[in-house]
Amino acid sequence: MSTNTPPITSLRETWRQLMRSARSRSARLRASLIALAVAAAVQGLALACLMPLFQTLIPAANWQAALPWLLIMSVLMLTSLAIRWWAQGFDYLGYTVANTHELRTLMGEQLRRIPLELLQDKRAGEVNATLLGNVDENLNYLLTVAAMMAHALITPVVVALAALYFDWRMGLILLLVFPLLIPLYRWRRPSFGRGMQMLADANQRTSSDILEYTQGLPVLRAACCTGEKAEHLRDSFSHLEKIQTIGQKKGAKPNLILATVMELAVLLVVFLGILFVVQGSLDIALLAALLVIVVRFSEPLATFVIYAKVIDIMEAALGKIDALSNIKPLPQQTPAQLPDGFEIRFEEISFAYANTEKQILRNLNAQLPARSLTALVGPSGSGKTTITRLLMRHADPQKGRITIGGVDLRAIEPERLNELISVVFQDVYLFDDSILANIRMARPDASDEEVEAAARAAHCHEFITRLPEGYQTLVGEIGGRLSGGERQRISIARAILKDAPIVILDEPTAALDTESEVAVQAAIDTLVRERIVIVIAHRLSTIAGADQILVIDKGELAESGKHQELLANQGRYARMWQAQQSIKEWHITSAQGVI
Amino acid sequence: MSGSLSRSADLPKVWSIMRPVWGQIRFAMGLAGIASAFTLGALTMLAWAVHRLLATPDQWPWLPLLLAVVLTVLAYVLRLTAFNQSHYAAFRLETRLRTQLSEHLARLPLGYVQQTGAGALTKVLMEDVKALHVFVADSTPLYARAYVSPILTFALLWWLDWHLALVATAVLALGVAVVSLAMRNSGEMMRQYNEAGENVSRAVVEYVQAMPVVRTFDTGTVTFGRYQRALEAYRDIVTRWYRMAGVSSRLSQLILSPLPTLAALIWVGAWLISQENMDAGVWLAVLLVGTGMAESLLPLMSLKHLVAKTQMSIHRIHEVMAEPELPVPDETAAKTPQDANVRFEKVNFCYTPSGPLVLRDVSFDVPAGTVTALVGPSGAGKTTVARLIPRFWDVTDGSIRIGDVDVREMLPETLMQQVAFVFQDTFLFADSLANNIRLGLPEATLDEVIAAAKAAQAHDFIMALPQGYDTQAGERGIFLSGGQRQRITIARAILQNRPILVLDEATAFADPENEAALVAALANLMQGKTVLMVAHRLSTIRDADQILVFDQGQLAERGKHDALVAQKGVYARLWHNYEQAQDWVLAGEQA
Repeated sequence: MSTNTPPITSLRETWRQLMRSARSRSARLRASLIALAVAAAVQGLALACLMPLFQTLIPAANWQAALPWLLIMSVLMLTSLAIRWWAQGFDYLGYTVANTHELRTLMGEQLRRIPLELLQDKRAGEVNATLLGNVDENLNYLLTVAAMMAHALITPVVVALAALYFDWRMGLILLLVFPLLIPLYRWRRPSFGRGMQMLADANQRTSSDILEYTQGLPVLRAACCTGEKAEHLRDSFSHLEKIQTIGQKKGAKPNLILATVMELAVLLVVFLGILFVVQGSLDIALLAALLVIVVRFSEPLATFVIYAKVIDIMEAALGKIDALSNIKPLPQQTPAQLPDGFEIRFEEISFAYANTEKQILRNLNAQLPARSLTALVGPSGSGKTTITRLLMRHADPQKGRITIGGVDLRAIEPERLNELISVVFQDVYLFDDSILANIRMARPDASDEEVEAAARAAHCHEFITRLPEGYQTLVGEIGGRLSGGERQRISIARAILKDAPIVILDEPTAALDTESEVAVQAAIDTLVRERIVIVIAHRLSTIAGADQILVIDKGELAESGKHQELLANQGRYARMWQAQQSIKEWHITSAQGVI
Repeated sequence: MSGSLSRSADLPKVWSIMRPVWGQIRFAMGLAGIASAFTLGALTMLAWAVHRLLATPDQWPWLPLLLAVVLTVLAYVLRLTAFNQSHYAAFRLETRLRTQLSEHLARLPLGYVQQTGAGALTKVLMEDVKALHVFVADSTPLYARAYVSPILTFALLWWLDWHLALVATAVLALGVAVVSLAMRNSGEMMRQYNEAGENVSRAVVEYVQAMPVVRTFDTGTVTFGRYQRALEAYRDIVTRWYRMAGVSSRLSQLILSPLPTLAALIWVGAWLISQENMDAGVWLAVLLVGTGMAESLLPLMSLKHLVAKTQMSIHRIHEVMAEPELPVPDETAAKTPQDANVRFEKVNFCYTPSGPLVLRDVSFDVPAGTVTALVGPSGAGKTTVARLIPRFWDVTDGSIRIGDVDVREMLPETLMQQVAFVFQDTFLFADSLANNIRLGLPEATLDEVIAAAKAAQAHDFIMALPQGYDTQAGERGIFLSGGQRQRITIARAILQNRPILVLDEATAFADPENEAALVAALANLMQGKTVLMVAHRLSTIRDADQILVFDQGQLAERGKHDALVAQKGVYARLWHNYEQAQDWVLAGEQA
């Protein structure tokens, strides 16, 4: 969260962003917006007709003289309404909907292209979800707001110009007073932005306090201090209320001045008009006409002030859409190459995540021969998972290169690279869809029989057929009824169905209970046959049979070799092994706790 | 979410959410109503001023002008005050509701909190409460205006000139007729629209959140398809809605815009004046106020839309508030346990009244100072047993007794003073590490905290942090590994020093080096306590005084390790699996 005022985009930049966001419909959008301006101008002319019209009726009525002006006014009004009708077709004929639809689709595609490292953390996910979710809410009111702006700004100017012809003094006053609104509006925006930022910070604080409270409730209740924390929470609530109140007061001040200017403008016009009438230099009919016209202005101006917020929200959304669209995908080397073997090499890899200083990997070298099993071990945070992510090209290393079958990852097309690698994570993500669809997503063209074969190989078939609707059972409806091990086996079935030559196992059994573990282990045994396997495991006995063990510490390769070699080395690995062996001997008894 | 929520029959319920600040809201609405009356008055005064000028063009119409100024200023001040009042009331309401909700949460069964999820509850407390703002703060004064203004305008017009009053009303009636044409079937469309909109939000969240996972699978082709289908359904519904109601709703907007009313009043007025049936001053007054009826109707329509949106939020707030609290005994009737014995007596338990029994007829006794292990396949109910002791839920039948007192007959504080918990999901607060350890015991000295941390094998890594015990933990604090966090919570339990200890999978997530420290910490914690532990690592519990084996919600076997293995029952199978899992070695092709 930055505490700075968000920068204000210039109107021209906003216009450009808007046209870019309208894509293929930008011509129609531009025409609609211009039409709205024209409609507002014509409406100004229609209102201006009141001046000559009133002169024919006040003080003495002359129907014959009035009729032409009445007709002209009516024609102008109808023209204005007709133009506006056409302009609003952008909304009503479905252009807006089609447009937000296309924008969402394109942004969705963009999410598939941008480097995955930018999507890894949860906050980024929330930001993007909000952005994609709110596209329509942010942009649907575009024409409504534009029409309002046109009425608030253009109509008064046209009336004022027309008034110059009838009485230059009154025209000049109108011209001076009403366009004042624009600089006033620009002036109050920064303070609006500041207030918003303070409010956003306070909201953020309250939100995380609430989250902490609800997450921590079991602990708080156990520690008997719900009251204490609740007090802290109440402080946070009243802090938020205070900020809101201040914001309301501060926000009220510019609004107050704006509204006062508007009300005063009406009164000023009336006062001066009366002054000129009393002096005998102004036709009273003109004063009456101007009065009717000027009163018409106050409503659009008032709504304009209220809707100024909506304009800010729209501008912010446009800016974010632009920012997301501008993220470049990872560069692709041409010509694209196909690896002919699957041997993996890490050559002098150094890496830090985007927007961070910390080097996660430093000058790492490793070679993974075809059909070999490589284990990555090391303390949490040492960089094991990052190595696997680089192999999947979530990001490119700043230095060095990774090759598969001798081909630089950057020269392999993303789809092709994807086909080469299967991953089994500790957390399994299942979609709210049938079990069948959840497995088949690994290879959409797989037949039902192939899916079932994969499920059998992953030891899932039995429990799936026991579910009320078998493979058609919806995951959402039974969500909680699948155990961790069952979910994990479904994800292994996916990987088996995918049949990729390279398999990455990231702690696949860490969160499982013993019974599930045996089944998952059996499933993994099927999966890893005849492939290059990279496994991250905490339980060292699991990987004692690996062809090579890479011990990673603080982003560097501390040791490598086979189990026996590493034990003989008496280094880091040997110490970890001994620590783990000693725990195996640990068991509890009453009284003294541990033997 | 069921679609029936958006029915307008729920409207009174919607207003009832404001009850705590109802007085202030009514005040604000009253002010807003008076303000719109004054605005009309000011306009009439201006017309009167011109009327006077017409009669005597060389005299200043001081009185009407002065009144116009006074009424304008008053109307403005009242309107501003009304908006300020309704906003303050809305802010106060937010605080009130959040306080009520958080206090309510503290008294609900913890199981409810865990099942609903902290994220979902936070959303209710934060977003849903915030969503009320538009309704309570922004729309209430507008409501007042939308109802007061047309009525007063009509009365005023009628008084000025009944012909023109009828003309204005006719235009309005035409507009309303077209509106109702546009709103025909809108309930059903609205429902479909909301549903499609919710599907889109869900698809967006799924698509974005699963992105890191699915991109490793199929570069997201399948999920993208799901996302796109939701988008298309939404687009189709909105397009259909526009096609169905588009023309009439556009037409109603045009008719209700001020121009048609103005044109009609000008034509008829001009005719009446030329027939010398009307005074120019009256005509002017009509032209100034006459458009007010139509103008105040349009906001009313958009308000309805806003309120409908708020309904979902209000419903969710009510839902949480309606959740029954955990019953607590009277202070006078509350009992205190005599010793640290834990006993389950014929316990049946199900999560929902109609749901299946999760525990069936479970009875066992844990004598003070002994160690009991709870084992069983996943879903057998062992974690539920552990969580019933601190009353995450209450038992459906039977009772749980500590020191021969039913846990429901103790004050929550008394119960908590007996039992300490270490769960697998560790939680640290955004506070210093020292305060995280002394949580609930604010009077504990730093020396006591350090002693507990030492016993929990946490002292060394804490001291290695730049700010030692003052290091901030939690979301905005330092990154600690799972094992390190676990040791902090063990230090907390050691400091609490309660006679009974419930451990749930305490060592599940540790890496090898952390694990050794964790085991030592647990050993220190368990010294001399009555211990119930849910265990997966069966080797650790070989010497427990009692092993309770659960299977499908029932206590299947009990006894000591050797006897249970010899029985060749559930435990023997678990033990066999366990040994097999321990011996699993991933075989390299070249090894």
